[in-house]
Amino acid sequence: MIRRVFLARVVTAGTLAVAMAAAGCGSGGENAVPPAGGSSTSTDLLADAPVADAAAIVPGSTMEAIKKRGKLVVAEALDAPLLSQQNPANPDEVTGFDADLAKLLAVYLLGKPEVEIVPPATETREALLANGTVDVVFNTYTITEERAQQVDFAGPYFESGLAVAVKTGNKDIKGIDDLGGKTVIVGANTPAVTEVPKRQPTAEVVQFGTDPQAVTALLQGRGDAYVQDITLLASNAKANPKLTVVGNPFTTEPYGIGLKHGDAEFKKFINDWLKKIQDGGQWATAWKNSLGTVVEAEPPTPPAIGSVPGS
Amino acid sequence: MAALLDNLVPLLQGLSATLWMAVLSAVGALVLGVIVTAMRVSPIPVLRGVAFAYVQLFLNVPLLALLVLFVFALPDAGLLMPLPMTAVVVLVIYEAAYVAEAVRSGVNTVALGQAEAARALGLTFRQTLGSVILPQALRAVVQPVGNVMIALVMNTSLFAAVGIVELTAAANKTNLIHAQPIPIFVGAGLTYMALALLIGLGTGWLERRVAILR
Amino acid sequence: MSASVLYDEPGPKTRRRIFLWSVVSALVVLGLVVLGLVQFAKHGQLDAEKWAPFTQWPIWEYLLVGLLGTLEAAAYVAVLSAVAGIFLALGRLSRVRPLRWLATGYIEIARTLPVLLMIYVTLFALPSAGVNLPLLWKLVLPLTVANAAAFAEIFRAGILALPKGQSEAAVSLGLSGGQTMRFVVLPQAVRHVTPSLVSQLVSLLKDTSLGYIVAFTELLYRAQVLSAYNHLLVQTFLVVTFIYLVCNGFLSFVAHRLQGWRRKREPEGTNG
Repeated sequence: MIRRVFLARVVTAGTLAVAMAAAGCGSGGENAVPPAGGSSTSTDLLADAPVADAAAIVPGSTMEAIKKRGKLVVAEALDAPLLSQQNPANPDEVTGFDADLAKLLAVYLLGKPEVEIVPPATETREALLANGTVDVVFNTYTITEERAQQVDFAGPYFESGLAVAVKTGNKDIKGIDDLGGKTVIVGANTPAVTEVPKRQPTAEVVQFGTDPQAVTALLQGRGDAYVQDITLLASNAKANPKLTVVGNPFTTEPYGIGLKHGDAEFKKFINDWLKKIQDGGQWATAWKNSLGTVVEAEPPTPPAIGSVPGS
Repeated sequence: MAALLDNLVPLLQGLSATLWMAVLSAVGALVLGVIVTAMRVSPIPVLRGVAFAYVQLFLNVPLLALLVLFVFALPDAGLLMPLPMTAVVVLVIYEAAYVAEAVRSGVNTVALGQAEAARALGLTFRQTLGSVILPQALRAVVQPVGNVMIALVMNTSLFAAVGIVELTAAANKTNLIHAQPIPIFVGAGLTYMALALLIGLGTGWLERRVAILR
Repeated sequence: MSASVLYDEPGPKTRRRIFLWSVVSALVVLGLVVLGLVQFAKHGQLDAEKWAPFTQWPIWEYLLVGLLGTLEAAAYVAVLSAVAGIFLALGRLSRVRPLRWLATGYIEIARTLPVLLMIYVTLFALPSAGVNLPLLWKLVLPLTVANAAAFAEIFRAGILALPKGQSEAAVSLGLSGGQTMRFVVLPQAVRHVTPSLVSQLVSLLKDTSLGYIVAFTELLYRAQVLSAYNHLLVQTFLVVTFIYLVCNGFLSFVAHRLQGWRRKREPEGTNG
């Protein structure tokens, strides 16, 4: 009996020990991502990135608090290719348009790209800003007037739009106007959820939680078309020749940098930074390194700051 | 509160989806679970092995991973079914493993003498199992199987992850639009509790009704 | 009752029939598996290039770090809910009526709520009430609340299954109620239900896969990020399913062995 009890205790202790060791050498629970020490896309980008002069860091402001903390906490995805995607072979490296802009902002504030990434769960971006868990949101955050009542938006920093993708070889669907009465796949919690019914009330909308799921569903015939942001669709089409983007974007989605409601000082600070990197060429370089790799075009002109209601 | 009442229609639609999928899955899981148990105690070693492997596989893999695999891998293995059907099939296969375990423990509690007497009377394996052992075993495990059914109803809430609109998905969607988490989620929670209570009362009544008075 | 009680010792004719059926069922099972694999290959899911990423160590390291996250969260939940479970079980068995009502009420409510819903509550309702937890706790708290009730029921079943003579003997020896519980009843009860505890541990570990909803670094979330990176949904999830199978299979195996040892020690109860 003693031996059996001993053995059971050893097993329990062993399991707990493994788990505790895991706690010690695991990621420590929080999704802290230390800066990528010179990832290939970012070194040239960050080399001549502007840094704010001391006068801009007003005492008592959000900027000063961030500077004192030593890192910028950003709500960013880890599974958005071309925008902010974690590299599994090197989990410290998160690359993409949103990710690079966040690093640039950190350099502007702190002098170095110290970014801590908090992936937002299903639509908690407003809550994350309201209770101060994150400083800014860089997450293809579309500026809308409803959202502007809960958070503030700096920017817009990019203009995208929803487009339609179909299985390669589908000649019936050339754009949003052909989707009447069809089954349309959309991503959960994306603007497409409300836009598609608005444009095509007879279309049947099926939601999937993640982009890979939606693409697989489309290719397996669970839907006739997939409506999603054109940048994501372009990235998918590049990786998978069985998918084709048809037509042009039929909405305009202005992305903004989300920040806490009512923080006018921080908003002005960020807008100043945005203007600087647009003029300095870093915005265009960031675009070229990420979205520019799937679109055959020159970097577009960034949208005018404050041009969208809500920004 | 207003958010809850204004959106009663989509929430009730979600509830009806939950209900029909749960009922279908429950029936399927019960039938499949009993079959698997029969395989587990059968004289054919291959069937015993398959049943054992089946139960071990589905007891040890998270339902979420199975849902994603079945919804997205099965079409490539040749089987494309409508989404709710696929989810029901996954839940049936998953919960049948738990039912099989529960029924098997029930079979083990049936007195040895019963099987021996059945054999002494010359009953075949099928007759022994079908007329003597299983009826007693099932009566003994009404409560554990009831718990499996409650877990099944709770697990329908995971269908939201693969795009099926049931009660939890409807509650989440409504909350995203109206940002009133307390009344909406409390309402959804109370509904699930009511369902679990119903199942609990049902198993209690069933247990009393089929109890073997010795 | 062992299985062989259900049927007579097979004679030569039955042995032949059993062999025949074994062959038939083996062929059917193999046939289905082969059919599935052939269809899979036809759709290109077995292409070498689709599986090549999984021969590289960094990918495995990425997933295994996710597994560590899973184990870490599971360890926290297991310890916290087991401790809470013991107190809840004692509360439910207590003679103090308000305590009993509180414990029973909590257990009945927590057992009938889906874990997913509790996670949504932690994600949405708590922050709006001003409570914002670090990421690990956003997953651990709802799981602990749910599993504490499950553990409580397991412990309660173990305590009630103990022969009354044990506690009566303890009382007649002069031990107080608390001492009886601590030195006589609980140790035996816990030993009695260890297999159920380990099954609950397995179930709890599977529940941590819901961590993907709060974007916690656990295995399923990492699978999601990985599949977004390499666009290989099916292969990634097959690999992750395999990892879960191995991990939980090991725990179940441990539970099975513990059950075997216990059965060897305590003779089968009278069922006749």
